[in-house]
Amino acid sequence: MADVLFLALSVLTIGAAIAALELRSLIYGSIALMGTLGGIAGFFILLDSPFVAMFQIAVYVGSIAVLILFTVMLVKRELIFKKIEDPKRKFAGIGLMLITMVAVGAIILDSGVKTITTDSAPVDFRDIGVDFLTYYWPALIAMALILAGSVIGALVLARREDTVENGQRTD
Amino acid sequence: MSVIAPKFRLAYFLKAIIDNVFWIIILVALIGIPAIQIGLFYGDLPVIEGELLTAFLAFTWLFNPAMALPLVKSLIYSDLFRIAAFPGFGFAALIAAGTIFVERKMLAKLQLRVGPFYCGKIEGILQLAGDGLKLISKEIIIPAKADKPIFWVAPVLFVATAAAFVSLIPVAPGGWVVADLDVGLLAVFAVIGFFPIITVLSAWSANSKYPFIGGIRALHQMVSFEIPLILSLLGVVILTGTLNLSEIVESQSNFPWIIFMPIGAIVFFTAMLAELERIPFDLPEAESEIVAGWLTEFSGMMYGLVQLGSYVKLYAFAALFVVIFLGGWTGPVFWPPLDEQVITTGLEIPSYTGDPFLTISTPGLPLFDADPNEWILQKQGELQYTTGQLLISGVIWFVLKTVAVIFFILLPRGVFPRIRIDMLLHIGWYKLIGLSFVNIFIALGLLYTGILGPGGIL
Repeated sequence: MADVLFLALSVLTIGAAIAALELRSLIYGSIALMGTLGGIAGFFILLDSPFVAMFQIAVYVGSIAVLILFTVMLVKRELIFKKIEDPKRKFAGIGLMLITMVAVGAIILDSGVKTITTDSAPVDFRDIGVDFLTYYWPALIAMALILAGSVIGALVLARREDTVENGQRTD
Repeated sequence: MSVIAPKFRLAYFLKAIIDNVFWIIILVALIGIPAIQIGLFYGDLPVIEGELLTAFLAFTWLFNPAMALPLVKSLIYSDLFRIAAFPGFGFAALIAAGTIFVERKMLAKLQLRVGPFYCGKIEGILQLAGDGLKLISKEIIIPAKADKPIFWVAPVLFVATAAAFVSLIPVAPGGWVVADLDVGLLAVFAVIGFFPIITVLSAWSANSKYPFIGGIRALHQMVSFEIPLILSLLGVVILTGTLNLSEIVESQSNFPWIIFMPIGAIVFFTAMLAELERIPFDLPEAESEIVAGWLTEFSGMMYGLVQLGSYVKLYAFAALFVVIFLGGWTGPVFWPPLDEQVITTGLEIPSYTGDPFLTISTPGLPLFDADPNEWILQKQGELQYTTGQLLISGVIWFVLKTVAVIFFILLPRGVFPRIRIDMLLHIGWYKLIGLSFVNIFIALGLLYTGILGPGGIL
């Protein structure tokens, strides 16, 4: 059952990724991107970590894909994209991807991934929280500062001085 | 005087009926029975009370009401029943249908109108069925330059997402929930994130001005109000230390969280109104500005599906409010556990010699009172399902609270005007997010002073 699911998810994820690259319609491309991200969430569920899977869906499908969709809808693609049909570039890209994937796969296989016991119990998300607050606290603090900085920066950039504060008409 | 069917002939009518019967018999014999046989070949038959349920046994039980009880029980405990009927879609759709009718009547009364009046003689009680029949029988018109696949799929996806939301809501104690996840609240957030995608995609695919403006407005509104929606629930998560919705309900057996977190409840309620596109936040379907917003191009049952989905979503949000802030199904149990003798043999009324001369037995009773000790068993965590008085009183409390919350969701529609988009975003980004942080700090204060939370005083 898990093998069938894994194969189906792999086909979904990789197929949607290829579709996201190859489709001419930008909207369908971004829908395919959502399919890819959802497939990765499915992998997380298969790996017994629903916490990460739910965050994958909520953040990547629910927010980032929506932002991409929104941006795509606001641009006129004829104005900014020039069509370049060059088979050489395509094959070069595919070759580069294959080389990168083989290299990354070799690194992962060499890193001792085969010695991991696969039937261990799933990690409770409370343990992840405890680890974050004790051993990995500098990383947590750094992430929090970066996120707070980016949010404050975005608010400062988006703030407009020329609007009337609560300019509701009363007449 | 006009006749409904002027060319009616009884012979043609009978011929049509006989034709239909003939074709039904042919189709059942050629497709239905082989399909059932193939299914029986591969599928496993359920074992009920130690007996393999064959088709003969099922028919035997069906025609004897007293013996049909185990069949009904096994049906109630099945996954299909939970998904389709009770805590799942059927229950939600029933409440949603009731909501539509109550909304129309109640708003009419608020505004000194009559509301639906003529359908069904008594206060227009059949208006809803009439509307449904009208929507089903109407033609579905698709704009010529619409993006057809997305346009067709969007209403179905909308209903499916609302149903997925409903499936996460626990309704009664003891596992009466379709999907009891450890990360239930996160799953709720993940499901909520799909609504703006579907909205904006359907709006774009209609290839029309008004839906597109409505869809962009809906996207703005939903995305920006998701943040206070999520943040306002974190206080409860901090204090309960769990994301499982059933455990959150069980943590409120003494007091509901709204007592300690009224700010979070208010923020959640406001964000909920915005997510549901209710007045005063109904900019995406503002009928006086952009015809019907992102619903403009929908017609027939596609519009009906979107309406059904939005009211199922309304029920789900109200139920989530009840689960998190109002204590879900907790409340006084209505009647004590029944005596075991009443369930098994019936109530015996003895004569003066001591022999029972009359036995009052209720054959339907064992359906809901399988185990008289289920209260104790459920406290010990040994019971998978509650079926008896716990189920009934839990459902009654849950429905009462949910209906009250739905009433408060409907009420602003009769009272408030629509607000501008910049005021809406100002409320969402400045006020609600700030208030939800205040709520989180209140929760943290209660936790660190040791009043609430794991190991707290209360």
